[in-house]
Amino acid sequence: MLELRHIGKAYASGRQVLANLSYTLGAGEYVAIMGESGVGKSTLLNLIAGLDVPDTGEILINGVAMSSLDDDAATRLRRKEFGFIFQAFHILPHLTLSQNIALPLLLNGASIERAEPMLDAVGLGGRGHHFPHQLSGGELQRIAIARALVHRPKLVLADEPTGNLDPDTARDILMLMRREIKANGASGIIVTHSHAAAATADRVLALTKDGLHPVAPAKVANAAAPAVSADSHHSG
Amino acid sequence: MTKSPNKGTLSRWLLSGEWQSHRVQAAVAVIAIALGVALGFAIHLINAAAFSEFSAAARSLSGQSDLEVRSPQATFDESIYPVLVQRDNVELANPVLELDVAIPGSSQERKDGTLKILGLDIFRASLMAPDLIGIPGEDKLFDILADDAIFLSPAAMEWLGVKQGDPLPLRVGTQTITLRIAGSLTRARTGQRIGVMDIGAAQWRFRRIGQLSRIELKLAPGIDRVAFKTALEQQLEPRGQYQITETADQETRVANMSRAYRVNLNMLAMVALFTGTFLVFSTQALSVVRRRHQFALLRVLGLTRRQLLTQVLFEGGALGAVGSLAGLALGYATAATALHYFGGDLGGGFFTGVKPTVYFDPLAAAVFFILGLGITLLGSAAPAWEAATAKPAQALKSGSEDIALSKLATPWPGLLCLASGALFTQLPPIFDLPVFGYLAVAQLLTGGIVLMPRFAALVFSAVSSAVGNRTSGTAGATPALTTLALARLANAPNQAAIALGGVLASFTLMVAMAIMVASFRVSVDDWLKHILPADIYLRTAMSGDTRGLTPDEIKALAAIPGIARADFFRSSKLTLDPGRPSIALIARPIDMTDPGNTLPMTGEAIAPALLPKDAIPIWVSEAMVDLYGYTPGKQVTLPIANPAPGFVIAGVWRDYGRQFGAVQMQLADYQRLTGDRLVNDAALWLENGITPEQVIASMRRLPFGDALEFSEPGQIRALSLNIFDRSFAVTYLLEGVAVIIGLLGVAASFSAQAFARTKEFGMLRHIGMTRRQILGMLAVEGCLLTALGAVLGFVLGWCISLILVFIVNPQSFHWTMQLSLPWKGLLGVALVLMASAAMTALASGRHAVSGNAIRAVREDW
Amino acid sequence: MQPFKCNPAYVDHSNRQQHSVSRAARISFQRASFLAAFFIITWFGAAIGFAASPQLSPVIQGVPLAFPHDFGAHPDFRNEWWYATGWLETPEKKSLGFQVTFFRVATQHDRSNPSRFAPQQLIIAHAALSDPAAGKLLHDQKSAREGFGLAYTKEGNTNVKLNDWYFVREENGRYETSITADNFMLQLSLIPTQAPMLQDLNGFSRKGPRPEQASYYYSEPQLQVTGTVTRDGKEIAVNGIAWLDHEWSTAYLDPAAEGWDWVGANLDDGSSLMAFRIRSKDGSKVWAYAGIRDPSGRFTKFEPEQVTFEPQRNWRSPRTNATYPVEMRIRTGSTEWLLTPLQDDQELDSRQSTGSVYWEGAVTITRDGKPAGRGYYEMTGYVEPLTL
Repeated sequence: MLELRHIGKAYASGRQVLANLSYTLGAGEYVAIMGESGVGKSTLLNLIAGLDVPDTGEILINGVAMSSLDDDAATRLRRKEFGFIFQAFHILPHLTLSQNIALPLLLNGASIERAEPMLDAVGLGGRGHHFPHQLSGGELQRIAIARALVHRPKLVLADEPTGNLDPDTARDILMLMRREIKANGASGIIVTHSHAAAATADRVLALTKDGLHPVAPAKVANAAAPAVSADSHHSG
Repeated sequence: MTKSPNKGTLSRWLLSGEWQSHRVQAAVAVIAIALGVALGFAIHLINAAAFSEFSAAARSLSGQSDLEVRSPQATFDESIYPVLVQRDNVELANPVLELDVAIPGSSQERKDGTLKILGLDIFRASLMAPDLIGIPGEDKLFDILADDAIFLSPAAMEWLGVKQGDPLPLRVGTQTITLRIAGSLTRARTGQRIGVMDIGAAQWRFRRIGQLSRIELKLAPGIDRVAFKTALEQQLEPRGQYQITETADQETRVANMSRAYRVNLNMLAMVALFTGTFLVFSTQALSVVRRRHQFALLRVLGLTRRQLLTQVLFEGGALGAVGSLAGLALGYATAATALHYFGGDLGGGFFTGVKPTVYFDPLAAAVFFILGLGITLLGSAAPAWEAATAKPAQALKSGSEDIALSKLATPWPGLLCLASGALFTQLPPIFDLPVFGYLAVAQLLTGGIVLMPRFAALVFSAVSSAVGNRTSGTAGATPALTTLALARLANAPNQAAIALGGVLASFTLMVAMAIMVASFRVSVDDWLKHILPADIYLRTAMSGDTRGLTPDEIKALAAIPGIARADFFRSSKLTLDPGRPSIALIARPIDMTDPGNTLPMTGEAIAPALLPKDAIPIWVSEAMVDLYGYTPGKQVTLPIANPAPGFVIAGVWRDYGRQFGAVQMQLADYQRLTGDRLVNDAALWLENGITPEQVIASMRRLPFGDALEFSEPGQIRALSLNIFDRSFAVTYLLEGVAVIIGLLGVAASFSAQAFARTKEFGMLRHIGMTRRQILGMLAVEGCLLTALGAVLGFVLGWCISLILVFIVNPQSFHWTMQLSLPWKGLLGVALVLMASAAMTALASGRHAVSGNAIRAVREDW
Repeated sequence: MQPFKCNPAYVDHSNRQQHSVSRAARISFQRASFLAAFFIITWFGAAIGFAASPQLSPVIQGVPLAFPHDFGAHPDFRNEWWYATGWLETPEKKSLGFQVTFFRVATQHDRSNPSRFAPQQLIIAHAALSDPAAGKLLHDQKSAREGFGLAYTKEGNTNVKLNDWYFVREENGRYETSITADNFMLQLSLIPTQAPMLQDLNGFSRKGPRPEQASYYYSEPQLQVTGTVTRDGKEIAVNGIAWLDHEWSTAYLDPAAEGWDWVGANLDDGSSLMAFRIRSKDGSKVWAYAGIRDPSGRFTKFEPEQVTFEPQRNWRSPRTNATYPVEMRIRTGSTEWLLTPLQDDQELDSRQSTGSVYWEGAVTITRDGKPAGRGYYEMTGYVEPLTL
């Protein structure tokens, strides 16, 4: 589904963040990427999303090279195949919850009927006419999850989705996210430095200067035991 | 479901969401556009209505004629009439005696105390211009030919307050003749003030025996007008004493009369629209900046660049469309109201005697709509482009707002504008219009505004570091506020500059106009002082063709005791070019030792001693130099006698009274050449110890004393300046609108910024600033910004005023003036502007600081 | 003929009413019609108080006409006209009727006005051509003030000019006229074969019961006509017979008068008949007259009670809705005359230009049932205002 081939990327300042990074993500896989601050987790996500261009290497989505796409084509690919969940929620303040969720459907020229079921699925049924400022942070992230999955994307990218949330809410959100990604048959990449968050993924990868490395599940599980225990059968 | 409705839905959601949450800013932008369009459209409609009515009224006086035979002088000998009647291919020759006749005792009550009277041969005029035929009373049909009857248009009756059957006194020289109002000209144009009477009676009653103003010719069908005209010009003797004009010439003449005035007014209206553009730009720019995150998110979620660009442009276009439509409606209403209550001349005095009605001109409406929409799109284009090309990942982070605007801070376009503006000031007029002058004004204005952000950054960082050095170490809230305000202005100069654009534009224009008007007014005042040196001025009527004093009356006047000196003036009209309005010929005693003692010379002159011995000198107004090339030293002929005598141009004098040109000559020369012994006016100097009242009383006792009108220089000056002020009233109004639009701009941008800075304010509240302090900081920012705007506006305005004073005015109206600066007024307006900007900043800040500080920090936008 | 009152046949879209006009003005007018306006003054002029109105001469019985002076104009009288009507024959033996009329009117304009434009005398001319093939009249008219040699009536002999239209009597008594109308041209010579016929009391023609209701009036009947008529650019030679009236007065019509019927006929035996009646508004006869001169010069005059007019057949104008008695029986003493028109539609309708409407046309005439000659028949005052 996603294939990274020898990706390299340097910041405008010249500092090399990613070098010769390769990885292949299978369909329906849900992985977590962990790493220290500044190691290039968000940059990697931006590259995958086509929001940025790698200096070297190639990113293939379903076998299509991102570099072969112009901005419009990349945008079309993004809106069709990707869903996004951000640390800072990014819910448009002047649209209702339903409208926010419906945005990807509209962008894809699809029917917006699926917005309401999605709202129910994230536990906010009946509140579609509310505005974002009436919601708590956790609720906002639920909306973001709904928005990320409403158009049945192939891949959901989540960048520190629980960074702004308290641990209890974060756990709920992680469970919801995993459930909905799986329920919608999507692949998922979650970038986080929370072990508890990473533990909800099928597999955990560590991003270092040398590239992406699998991390033993036990190691993660140990670190995040309380968070995972409730849903440990999913980890594998 | 199809694709397009969804795109439409998205667009609508985004738009309504944005406008619902920023109603005020959207409304302000709409209002600004509406005001600009309304003003431009209204002025166009008023001018167009007034001009077309004026042309139609002028045309209605010449009916269906193909050609007109006139003379350079007001009238000519009728002997040519039977020749033209019997000439081959002339189907109809219609003789006309047209006079502006003074209404006795009216000049005080009425601005223009003359009635246009046409003497017509009804048998010929009824075929040429049937609308000019009076309707006599029942059983009094013969009145059409009566020697004492006149027919008045309804407008003339209303104006004079008379009705059918009333006597109508008219002033002829010092005499008053009384005609009988025999009926009405029901088919005269609405508002047209004219009278019609028998041509034989008119020649007799107005002492124009043997004289005609023009002969209108209708040619037989199929006759080549141009060939006929050429042949006739060759054959009419004496050469040069007749002008054969086509109807088109007449329309050119009418158009020329008011063109400069109309163009200038339209330019002012454009300026209001122009100011509105900056407002739209700033509204849109700030709105885009504020929504950088949103747009970035939409880009991440899959909105293409083009879609985003379209969305932003669509927002601007919607504002522009709504504003333009509202502007058209408002403009139409304004025009209708203004025409109804004030008539068509807007105080300019160019379209008196007609009553135009507004006509909705679809083409002009379309043009103004497109103009309004166009400038809105233009104002939205740069922000839209910035939004579409921003890197979404980067834009999703906060703190990049000012970076977004830094693209606008490139100095080159601004410098280019300034340079081209400077270049334009060196170019000559096009078609007698200062096109490049206006372009230079636009370029200077644009350049100034474009350079604003850079300039603001420079000034505020300089001030900021200066203040920082001075106040370092001292504690207290006030310096902190100033420091914060300065720091923001210095480090985020682009947002500040956008707020300033509107202020700068409107204040610049106001300064420019104020300096121009003040310069003009001071110059006119000086000029009036110079041309009114005598103690008393005397005339038989303010204007008109039938005024005048006979030699006997002149003698009687000069013999009144107590008069040290009496100068008599003879003024008449001469048409040198049928396509231009006629010039004034003024004959009067002129001090040959130094003509500058008599005339307000501009400096270009030939000393009388250096003139050729037998040359007859004339002195011409500046307009004569521009329009006819009458430069000092040139030998010219003037068709005031037959054969036309030659003159040498001895100098140029300044004339603010007659923009179409005037020539002055010695009264003695004039009388010797023409044999015309009448005079129109007299200037009287009194002996010491004699009061004007004494002399006036003595003159009143003369047999014709009742017909004399006296004025003292002070009265004439006051009256003239009053007329001056009235003619600039519209200008003041336009300036006012420009300033209001500018302030709206300040309000819009400040409230937009204050809103965008909610988080910043929340943070400041967190670290211990009171609301009052935040508001104070905002007020300081507003004040500082406006102060800079005012200073820059003053400089820019002063430059533009130079263009207005030294380029636009001389090229439009053919007169020069000295520069005068109305310091007090300008300072006052600048202070008012600063105060209102501070208030506006405060008012918009109140909303921003009223929210929950904690929440403001947590909220991402 | 005389100044009469007619019922000016025109409609004004405003509320103007009808005006009575003199015979010269068998002319009525509309708002923008001036023409007729002047005739009105012959009627009402005296009522208008001008400071310096000219003194016009009255018509007095017993003043003998003096020729050739009286062939010329009489500017001291208010109205004057030369009225030529007649029958023409084309080379194809087709009949045409023609009418050439010049009016002079003295206005009330102050005689001391030195302006050459001062409208002291007005000249008005009408011309018409009646061709049964056309089905209606071709006609045109002009008017002008006297002056600049462009329009005048001369004293001493008939010499009238209005721009390029003229009517001149040469020393030998022959009349020459030239008319360039809108849609036809006439170039005619009218040669007298008999002496002038002085109407009524040696040229003092009574028009009503009051002594001042009169004019000076002579006719020149039995004029031989030669010349050309041009239509559609084609000039054809014509000859024929015509009748000239010259009449002047400072005229008064009886206030009760509404219109009149007039006929002048050249009889085949060389006799000449002129008859008229003036109708009042109630249809009764205000005045009537007839005069017959036989070839030997014997003149028979009929008093009002001896003359009757009896309409025989009416024709209704499709333009004006007026009903004209186009066939008329006239009795003079024991003689019965019947007038039959060359064509029914000989109405002169120019309301669109000058507003005047009357019927003036060529007629054949029988005496006691036997064809007797040809003449011209005129009817005025028949047009009723149209209701809108």
